Amino acid sequence: MRRLPVYFLLDTSGSMYGTSIVALNNSLSEMIGTLRQDPQAIESVWISIITFDITAKEIIPLSSLDSFQLPEITCPRSGPTHTGEALSLLHSKVISDIKKGSATEKGDWKPLLFLFTDGSPSDKKLYRDITPQIKALNFGIIVGCAAGALSDDSMLKEICDHVVHLDTADASTLKQFFKWVSETIDHGNKSMGTGEKVGIPPPPTDINLVI
Amino acid sequence: MTTKEYIELLFKSKGITVPMNLVTKFQEFVDDTSNIESVKIILENQMGLLKNWKIKNRIVDITNQQIIIPNALMGDSYNAKIDTEKFNLKDLIISDIEGLTDTGLKFNTASLVIEGIPILSGDFKLKLLYRLQDEAEDSVLNEKIIPLLVMVDPKTLWKNLPSNKDDIYWKEDNVSVSDKLGTKTIVVSSKRGRSHQNVGSFRDDDFSFKHFDSNGWSIVCVSDGAGSYSLSRKGSQIACNAVIEYFEANLNTENQTNFELKISEYFKSKDEVLKKEIDGLTAQNLYKAVLYAHNKIKENADAMFKSNPVLFNNTKLKDPIDYYHSTLVFTLYKKYDLGYVLLTFSVGDCPVAVMNKEKTETKMLNWIDVGEFGGGTRFVTQPEIFHSTQNPMVSRFSLNIVDDFSYLFLMSDGIYDPKFEVEANLEKNEKWIEFLADLEGKNEDNSKIDFNSENKEIANQLSTWMDFWSKGNHDDRTLAVIF
Repeated sequence: MRRLPVYFLLDTSGSMYGTSIVALNNSLSEMIGTLRQDPQAIESVWISIITFDITAKEIIPLSSLDSFQLPEITCPRSGPTHTGEALSLLHSKVISDIKKGSATEKGDWKPLLFLFTDGSPSDKKLYRDITPQIKALNFGIIVGCAAGALSDDSMLKEICDHVVHLDTADASTLKQFFKWVSETIDHGNKSMGTGEKVGIPPPPTDINLVI
Repeated sequence: MTTKEYIELLFKSKGITVPMNLVTKFQEFVDDTSNIESVKIILENQMGLLKNWKIKNRIVDITNQQIIIPNALMGDSYNAKIDTEKFNLKDLIISDIEGLTDTGLKFNTASLVIEGIPILSGDFKLKLLYRLQDEAEDSVLNEKIIPLLVMVDPKTLWKNLPSNKDDIYWKEDNVSVSDKLGTKTIVVSSKRGRSHQNVGSFRDDDFSFKHFDSNGWSIVCVSDGAGSYSLSRKGSQIACNAVIEYFEANLNTENQTNFELKISEYFKSKDEVLKKEIDGLTAQNLYKAVLYAHNKIKENADAMFKSNPVLFNNTKLKDPIDYYHSTLVFTLYKKYDLGYVLLTFSVGDCPVAVMNKEKTETKMLNWIDVGEFGGGTRFVTQPEIFHSTQNPMVSRFSLNIVDDFSYLFLMSDGIYDPKFEVEANLEKNEKWIEFLADLEGKNEDNSKIDFNSENKEIANQLSTWMDFWSKGNHDDRTLAVIF
């Protein structure tokens, strides 16, 4: 059976404290619930969640959709956004997690990456150093989601195939965003030519695709 | 601590010293029964306060601790122990778990096991009721929330929505047929995968076959339209039909006669130089058929683009033909006095193999295009396959000469993935023997195909067999067996 590995990098820096982190928890949990109603997803999607604030933590190691429980994601009241460190952790995880096809092993589908942030990286140098290595990992798609006025679309553009911008990280916008994420995941396990990228469905109204 | 020690400490903390002349009085004070009683009560109360504080602390720790029990599957027997040792909860006296009413599960208070067969799905917040060993037996029970997820069996979630018959490229969801094919019999089935049934989309796979009475050649084609490309179902159909069309028109030409003569000669001489020459001719002949198929798809795509441009709305695709991406594999075979000649072409990931009469050897007639990642393959619709230096076109053709064969198999990855899993297994005869045994009934569903040319039910039998369950493998399935 082929796995479709889906990585989430979620910003839990101080600016997320309060209603935003509550909204993130709710919409993430709703998205997992939606995927768990989709037989195709249950049998193929594997999820990993990495959070980042002053440090990066793998809170869910790559697990099949039916095998894990979503913990509550918390964040400190204040503190920096170590996006670079999160990408660096992601890099090492992808290297060890992903099964490449060979004559004796079934390869995974190309992994998908969703990077959610409401700020800009505090560790810009590490972020820029790690970017080419992340690109070399051959993700099926890298989607960046910048939420709120303080987030930095252009930094995300450096690494992502698509960047969407949410005006606020409130409950209804995040809910729409994660619904769209689950639709995008649905596109991830189809045959395509070598070297092709996964397509994305059109984003809903409150989500602006950054060109 | 003695009464005296306690009073001395108390006095000291209040800055009172007992002068030498009052030492005897102090001793009397210490020995006073009511004072001894007071100190005893104070010490007991202090101990009580400390203990209560420890209990409160411990309860907060327990409330914050994550206790994760395995997820349950609806309809599947479940058994999860609240392992107090593992969770570091040995100081708990557990009295019950609330929240299991109507779930089909119950909590065994003696063994601390949640067990039963869940009949409801969802996220449940179970309440573990307990007291700490240090708490009084009649104290109010504490509550600890333990999440339990009961998943729905994915098998029950698959829908079977019909495909839209009014669609411009509609095709039959499932086709299964059998026929005589020259000296052999063919049974072939092509079925829409569960992933397509679930959303009401179309079967992307296709096949075709034909026997040419005039020259004795038979041909079987299988093509798999790529899931990511919206019109690939038509690409696969055109590919299969075009190859037949090409050979219908071109198998009787002068070239062909020359080819036949050389083969007859080779059967007698087994001359390797001649074999090389025949290899070359095979590639030349088949190349034209492949190019014809490619061009046919291109013609159709360009015409459709003109008449119906709204179908071509994917900004990432440059050319109309890209919407039709399909793999293609075909084998031509013919019986000669001294054996069978099999000519094969392949682009994509559809294996073709031939099993000898004694079933001691199964030979792959093609190599398959598989990438590092799932789904990464190549298509007959890609112009670059015709002049790739990495995978030269000539390597895609093969000529095989065998005395006879028991089975010739052509299949799409919808069969190959669940049944062979990896490429290496395609090279193993025992895997093919297993596969054949599976077809003949050695499977969970007891679906059995009787490979007998007189069997009128054979197409239905294969069609039933094709519905086998394989977790995560829900692509279209196409299998052609020639015997």
